[in-house]
Amino acid sequence: MNNTSQFHPDETMLLEFSAGTLATAPSICVSAHLHFCSKCRNQLLRLDQVGAQLMSEAKPLELEDDAFDAVMANLDNPEQAPAKSDVKVSRFPFSVDKLMKNNLVSQTWKRLSGSVDVARFETGQDEFEVALHKICAGGKTPKHDHQGLEYTVVLKGSFSDENAVYREGDFLIREPGDVHQPMGAQNGECICLSALSAPIKLTNPLGFLMKPWLRINPM
Amino acid sequence: MSLVTSLPTNQAIPRTNGDRVAVFKSAEKRSDQWSQLLISVGENRDRQAFAQLFRHFGPLLKGFAHASRNEGWFPGLGDDLVQEVMIKVWNKAAGYNAEKASATTWIYTVARNCRIDMLRRKSNTQHLPLENEDFWHEPDEETPISLLQQKRSEDKVQSSLAQLPKEQDEILRKVYLEGKSHAEASAELGLPLGTVKSRVRLALQKMQVIVSTESQE
Ligand SMILES: [Zn+2]
Repeated sequence: MNNTSQFHPDETMLLEFSAGTLATAPSICVSAHLHFCSKCRNQLLRLDQVGAQLMSEAKPLELEDDAFDAVMANLDNPEQAPAKSDVKVSRFPFSVDKLMKNNLVSQTWKRLSGSVDVARFETGQDEFEVALHKICAGGKTPKHDHQGLEYTVVLKGSFSDENAVYREGDFLIREPGDVHQPMGAQNGECICLSALSAPIKLTNPLGFLMKPWLRINPM
Repeated sequence: MSLVTSLPTNQAIPRTNGDRVAVFKSAEKRSDQWSQLLISVGENRDRQAFAQLFRHFGPLLKGFAHASRNEGWFPGLGDDLVQEVMIKVWNKAAGYNAEKASATTWIYTVARNCRIDMLRRKSNTQHLPLENEDFWHEPDEETPISLLQQKRSEDKVQSSLAQLPKEQDEILRKVYLEGKSHAEASAELGLPLGTVKSRVRLALQKMQVIVSTESQE
């Protein structure tokens, strides 16, 4: 997809993504953004060119004598061949799709508040909680602030806060201390991917009801 | 007069394995030998072309593996990586699109993903539901930058990389070859994170990988 996102990961994140040094959870978010943003895909290609050039200039090391034969013996070995991908056209990025399948997301939605549902992903790491959030049309989320970093990518629909309207593909970072109150657009539900590095602290009186749901569960 | 009939058709061109004179449909404009060979592997399961790729990239891949300074590194990583990457190259070559990237860039992305996944498998006992490879699954409807633009930026990267000041070159190598995050690089070099970021930024600007006036978010 090539819609024009307004909010992008910064160049440091893209570089770390290109070099493969970005942690898993933010990488999932960057990959989701790339699904929507051709501008960043082109930027990534250029960064990959840098990596490729550095790799070509790396000191070549002599291979084991049998290295070539060992590879040739394994070509067309059906066990090594990639599974025939049953790629169906999906509106979601591949990594998110795969997580949704692994996590049976359709069965794990939980009510977070009157207008927000959450489905958490098992991603094999515990620095970040990775989840989908679904805000119903016109839904108001509880006002909250952040103790940690939060990356958000809009996957479907749009939402707004005090500052802007965020649409499909938009990539946002909330720094610790940011307070905001996102609101779903009136014309349909909004689904976001998020990676959160520490529990959200709710700042409104309803907070005590939500807290148990927002706690990071060691999975 | 129909324009179509005056165009050469690819079917009319005889192909032989390993014959690099043959014109392949997806490489009409990308002419570097590695990309040609990779296309031939993808289209013809050409073992001779594959052997040439192996001889060129195998030692580079081993060097790339040995440059890693990541958790999970083990002495056999280089040989394992060569095996795994080259088998992936064979298996995935049919999906290689020369209009999207050069063979070297494409093989770099395969190697980078493989290296991370191998290191993670080694250092992590948790089940990992996603492989690094999953993050690079491009949507099909991609509109790539033109081949000419790509070629220009590749040349620019190549020529300006050699001229970077030592301090910028050092950080780029730490990030791409050793696999260090910016934060790790800053700790190791005893530099503030901001300095690391700005050196990287200057290097990328010099190579025209990023545009200096561009402000992102
Ligand atoms: Zn973008």
